[in-house]
Amino acid sequence: MTERPGPSFEEAQRELEEVVGRLERGEVGLDEAIELWRRGEELYRRCVGLLDAAEGRIEELASGDARGG
Amino acid sequence: MYGDRRVFTVAAFNRGIGIWLRRLPEVWVEGELTELRRNDAWGNVFFTLEDPQTGACLRATMLRRRFDALSLELEDGEKVHVQGRAEVYEQKGELGFRATTIERFGRGEHLAALERLKQRLAAEGLFAAERKRPLPRFPRAVGLLTGADAAARGDLVTAIATRFPPARVVVAETRVQGAGAAELIVSTLARLAAHPAVDVLVVARGGGSFEDLLPFSDERVVRAVASCPVPVVSAVGHEQDTPLCDLAADCRASTPTAAARLVVPDLDELLTSLERSRDRLGAGVRRLVARDRERLERTGERLRAAPRLLVERRRAAVLAAGGRLRALSPHATLERGYAIVRRNGAVLRDAALTAPGEALDVELARGSLAARVEEVRA
Repeated sequence: MTERPGPSFEEAQRELEEVVGRLERGEVGLDEAIELWRRGEELYRRCVGLLDAAEGRIEELASGDARGG
Repeated sequence: MYGDRRVFTVAAFNRGIGIWLRRLPEVWVEGELTELRRNDAWGNVFFTLEDPQTGACLRATMLRRRFDALSLELEDGEKVHVQGRAEVYEQKGELGFRATTIERFGRGEHLAALERLKQRLAAEGLFAAERKRPLPRFPRAVGLLTGADAAARGDLVTAIATRFPPARVVVAETRVQGAGAAELIVSTLARLAAHPAVDVLVVARGGGSFEDLLPFSDERVVRAVASCPVPVVSAVGHEQDTPLCDLAADCRASTPTAAARLVVPDLDELLTSLERSRDRLGAGVRRLVARDRERLERTGERLRAAPRLLVERRRAAVLAAGGRLRALSPHATLERGYAIVRRNGAVLRDAALTAPGEALDVELARGSLAARVEEVRA
């Protein structure tokens, strides 16, 4: 997880679920609800952003020896 | 020299035979392995090859290091092919065979050896369920170890890219069958696991003959899979093949599609689930806002109702007071038949204060009279 700042996709998605769960259970006050909603939107955008930013690619691992085959 | 007789010492003879024998080419000899003796302290292992039909024997040696590297799990009585050349043990003048490699021959022997290895590794706990690690749901990169055969690699890369187009796949090709394959698989596995972005590994190998798949049951490969720092999915062979690396891996996949399903998420599902989370997020906050608004409305209503209640209460009090007031008014007295007499607008209480002929006002319950005094009775 040293490659990029911020939560990984998995972490962001998990937190998003938690935020949604808390909002749905309605255990929070209005101020907190708005704050949670903001956080949720941010997490949603991060998740979608990560998916958009990830470019599918195939790399060859530099060979440690030439005997493959 | 004794005259024309050429005489050799025993040592020289043995050495001479040895030199002569070494000119013979390497050959393969088939036989049953017996009297295998191996000791960690020795540089060589010793065994005898026996021809089961005739009982003919050949004593053989092999460098222990080389023997161990084969990790064949050999037992006495197994049929083997041994490659090597003849040699003479000069000290004893005995003919022997210097082996460079040994191959098990015969499916039954292979199976038995695999079974023994399996039991041993299982007893070590290498295949235990609690060793299995969960696979990451969203790996930064998938490491893919394949043979150079395009099919296994292509199928898997396609399956991954179809399910999850943004996937990053790091491919390492290596020899997966034949001599040296096990060592190469082990070193390739280590290099892939060391890649900084690789969070999960797939070891892929299409179907092949029993012998072709043997490297994936090699003890070194099995141990490397079990101790790999990132989780490993074994996608080796077909459904019916169970190479030992399948047992050591964290997950097993019998097809490339199944392997893809294990290592990358389904993009469509992921997006749908994200959208759903977002909808629920909006709905959740809207409901909370609505709840608070409703509560606020109720409080407002009570607030607005408060002064009206107050006024009503006061009005009632005023009305009551009015009632009492009216009870005290002279009008009520007039109703009972009394009259108020005024002279020049002032209430007249004493007959002596007037005189005959004077005009007086007489107020009754309803209406009034303008009267004139006839007589005063004081």
